[in-house]
Amino acid sequence: MSGIGSALLNSLDIGLLLFIIAVGLNIVFGVLNIINFAHGALYMLGAYLAFTLINIVGMPFWAALLLAPLGVAILAVLIDRFLLRHIYSRDIADSLLLTFALLLIINESVRMIWGSGIQVVQPPQLLAGSMDIMGSSIPTYSLFVIVMGLALLAGLWFLFNRTRIGRIMRAAALDRDMAEVLCINTRLVVTGVFAFGAWLAAVGGVIAAPMRALDPGMGDKIIIESFIVVVIGGLGSFPGALLGAIILGLIHGVGGRYFPEVNMLLPFLGMALVLLFKPNGIMGKGAAA
Amino acid sequence: MKIKILWALLALVIVGLIAVPWITSYFYIFIFTEILILGLFAASFNLIFGYTGMLSFGHAAFFGIGSYAMALVLIHLEWPFVVGLLLSMGVSALLALIIGFFCVRLNEVYFAMLTLAFGMMVFAIAYQWRSVTNGSDGLAGFSLGSFGLGLDLTLANPAVYYHVVLAIVVIASAVLYLVCRSSFGMILRAIRQNPERVSFAGLNVRTYRLVAFVIAGSFAGLAGGLMAPFLRVASPELLHWSMSAEPILMAILGGTGYFLGPFVGSAVFVLLETWITSFTESWMLVLGIILALMVIFFRKGLLGTVLDWWMEIKK
Amino acid sequence: MMKTRAKKILVALSAAAAMGAVSTSYAEEPIRIGGIYILSGSAATYGEFAKKGINLAVDEINASGGILGRQVEMVYEDSQGKASVAIQAARKLVYSEDVDALVGLDSSGVAQGMVPTMPELQKPLIITHAATPDVTGKLCNAFTYRISVNVAQNMRAAALVAEKLDATNWTTIGPDYAFGHQSWEFFGNYLEELEPDVNLMSETNFPRFGAEDFTPFIDRVMDSDADGVLISVWGGDLVNFVRQANNRGFFEKDLELLFTVGGATEVLSALGDEMPESVHLSTRYWFDGYDNDINARFVKAYVDAYDGPPSYNAEGAYAAIYAYKKAMETVGTADGLAVAKALSGMSIEAPNGTVTFRKGDHQAMVGPNWGISGPMHPEYGIRTLTDLQIFNGEDVARSIEETGCKL
Repeated sequence: MSGIGSALLNSLDIGLLLFIIAVGLNIVFGVLNIINFAHGALYMLGAYLAFTLINIVGMPFWAALLLAPLGVAILAVLIDRFLLRHIYSRDIADSLLLTFALLLIINESVRMIWGSGIQVVQPPQLLAGSMDIMGSSIPTYSLFVIVMGLALLAGLWFLFNRTRIGRIMRAAALDRDMAEVLCINTRLVVTGVFAFGAWLAAVGGVIAAPMRALDPGMGDKIIIESFIVVVIGGLGSFPGALLGAIILGLIHGVGGRYFPEVNMLLPFLGMALVLLFKPNGIMGKGAAA
Repeated sequence: MKIKILWALLALVIVGLIAVPWITSYFYIFIFTEILILGLFAASFNLIFGYTGMLSFGHAAFFGIGSYAMALVLIHLEWPFVVGLLLSMGVSALLALIIGFFCVRLNEVYFAMLTLAFGMMVFAIAYQWRSVTNGSDGLAGFSLGSFGLGLDLTLANPAVYYHVVLAIVVIASAVLYLVCRSSFGMILRAIRQNPERVSFAGLNVRTYRLVAFVIAGSFAGLAGGLMAPFLRVASPELLHWSMSAEPILMAILGGTGYFLGPFVGSAVFVLLETWITSFTESWMLVLGIILALMVIFFRKGLLGTVLDWWMEIKK
Repeated sequence: MMKTRAKKILVALSAAAAMGAVSTSYAEEPIRIGGIYILSGSAATYGEFAKKGINLAVDEINASGGILGRQVEMVYEDSQGKASVAIQAARKLVYSEDVDALVGLDSSGVAQGMVPTMPELQKPLIITHAATPDVTGKLCNAFTYRISVNVAQNMRAAALVAEKLDATNWTTIGPDYAFGHQSWEFFGNYLEELEPDVNLMSETNFPRFGAEDFTPFIDRVMDSDADGVLISVWGGDLVNFVRQANNRGFFEKDLELLFTVGGATEVLSALGDEMPESVHLSTRYWFDGYDNDINARFVKAYVDAYDGPPSYNAEGAYAAIYAYKKAMETVGTADGLAVAKALSGMSIEAPNGTVTFRKGDHQAMVGPNWGISGPMHPEYGIRTLTDLQIFNGEDVARSIEETGCKL
């Protein structure tokens, strides 16, 4: 039990962390039809801001969890207002290119501001240490990640299906002109959704920070992972993002351990297979192919 | 009349390029070789992006495999250079056929994602298949043998190699240009604008896309075959998605609407990188800013903006 | 009237000519050295360390008159960890920036690609970090030197350490690229020579390079029969590994652990007391391990300038600049070919003792440092190394034949 059980639990843990990080990318695509290449950079920014708040300013983890994503969201609003608004009406290639430019800018800025060294953020006291689950010792923080991931899923479902804001976002996603006619301020919705996506990326960064060493390359590592999650699960579907994340977590955990010669290939193979047989993803209802 | 002026300018540019080893410093021979090779790579990409409207994020797979093919030929078989190039083109065309077959059935972002996935799969294979590709270290230490075709050229001399590259790139570009100008090219442009209408006209859109994809792939492989001896190494980063991003950037910088746009983009990119890295380590920041400005304000690219303006004035 | 004026002009002109002659005298042209390191991305910290070490050396040398009476200038290029970028960067440094010599290379892949091009460039290269054995082996050439320890040397020492331990079943956890595989291969071969009945397990662990999660591999080793583990994970990956291993209780198991690059300062300072005690850590240079004047001065200068102890990368780069100083002063010129020849067989006094570039393969005869992690250092927030063994370069080096180098 211990071997497979802890492998599965570990995959769940990696998967849910990936879900938290990647779901923002999914939402931005689903509502705005924009692939935000800078998503990984925003995640990294969230982690580094948390590092500054926790290690340098001395705030507790929970305060950083509140403030760092807000900071990134504000930056996202500025990015939207000054840069993205020029290309919203253009085709999707332009959003890929512009957000790629942002990725370059944010990456280098992070290195210039925080330096190249490896940084470490400690988990909060409450979540430090391990618990004994079914014979294996699981770090408490991993359980926290799982709980947070599920809470986020529930929260998002509630937001999109039961609240007015959620309905507005879905309306704007389906038919922007119609939404305008119905007096919905689509400009505001667009800014809001982009900022929300950035906020989610940064939340992912803060939550990931105690689990991952921080370095200026962490954004690049995560963006391809996020793409894979979102493609496998379905562009535009966030329960799909969860499924995609867990599948990727399994591929890494199981593949890494049992198929080492091809472990680099497997995630991309998975991505390709999904795109070939179920392009909308396993659960997706995104833009038609 | 205006068109004739442009052709004259192009001829002038080519003469200038031929004269590079005599009119610039030694280092610029290497720079211009790189510009030409990457320009061909970017032009091949533009066949599928600018002309056919498909954004591929895995074009480096063909470029890289061309490099590896050439490297393997030089290390294990020691065949003449020209034969190596033909092999690079053949191998990359084959790979493009396989990958393209699966990709052209998808649209837009799905196409982009699938090409990304395939590109990274090729990268992963090169990175992990140590026995053939030497894994992360890449293939190095090969020497340049004979050119082939009965011509006795010292390929190891950078100026000679530069001229060889120039000749090959000019010929390849001419061929590619003819393809773009042909009725086939016109259909590709129609597909970019409205694929449904083209298919209603009775043409199989997928087949056209696939053919374009294979042609583009083979020219990318040719560029890759030229790159390996130039760098003296074939390493996995030539297959990575960040390498696939380069022709995209160059096509945007120069302008996707004109055939020579990607070449202009390549020149601008390489020259900027060379100059800016002399002053700062934050080249990526500068590149990001320039790219952002280009996408927002000069979407037609440098050459695109200039040529459009030129065509407008002096009516 | 005219005559006087003409005379004045003549005098003025000749004075100007004389001054011009003085100011363009050859002796004032600086000696330029090019540095190619990783300056961006995840591993940018290594390039930064090298620059810190180099800048210290350059400042010291310039303050005491420079090399051959000329000031030293550094020009850096970012290799981005890519061979293709590094080769163009080297060409730029040599042909456009007119450097007299090169130092550099963090990444072994980059070194493999770049070293064969050195004879074309006709300038000497001293590698200060990249550890692939091939560059002073089958890829060796007249212009390439290495001042730092290579994988073969480090693994020989690791095998000597392992021999004395009680473990018989050995496995590895290493990054899935050349470095991880080569480390295990060399270690295994050397250990079998020393301890013929050692069991090198077929179940090995190579997480992908840059993997963020090592838990499956940690669990796998803990579940297996292994009682000795060679860990060649490094940098940010090692930081993640150790923290996750702590969570899994890896260090409570009765395992002999050899961390081949565990004594690196960037890893130790990131981990603080999360790095466990009583594990074997290696580094190519441990700042506290050398009791000589040069080291004392170097460490003090480094700490004063940068607030922490020097890493092996900084020390290697620092020593390389001094190696060039000695070579250039020996032959009285900065000419590439002459300097390259002068380095062969040359010895210098570096912070890590007397370092000699062996004639047969241009590899410095230096040994790695292996120690056992001990209590926290009072000032620097990192673990100290106890039971430090500084291996003799000659003892751990391969024979020239073994390297495959034919100079």
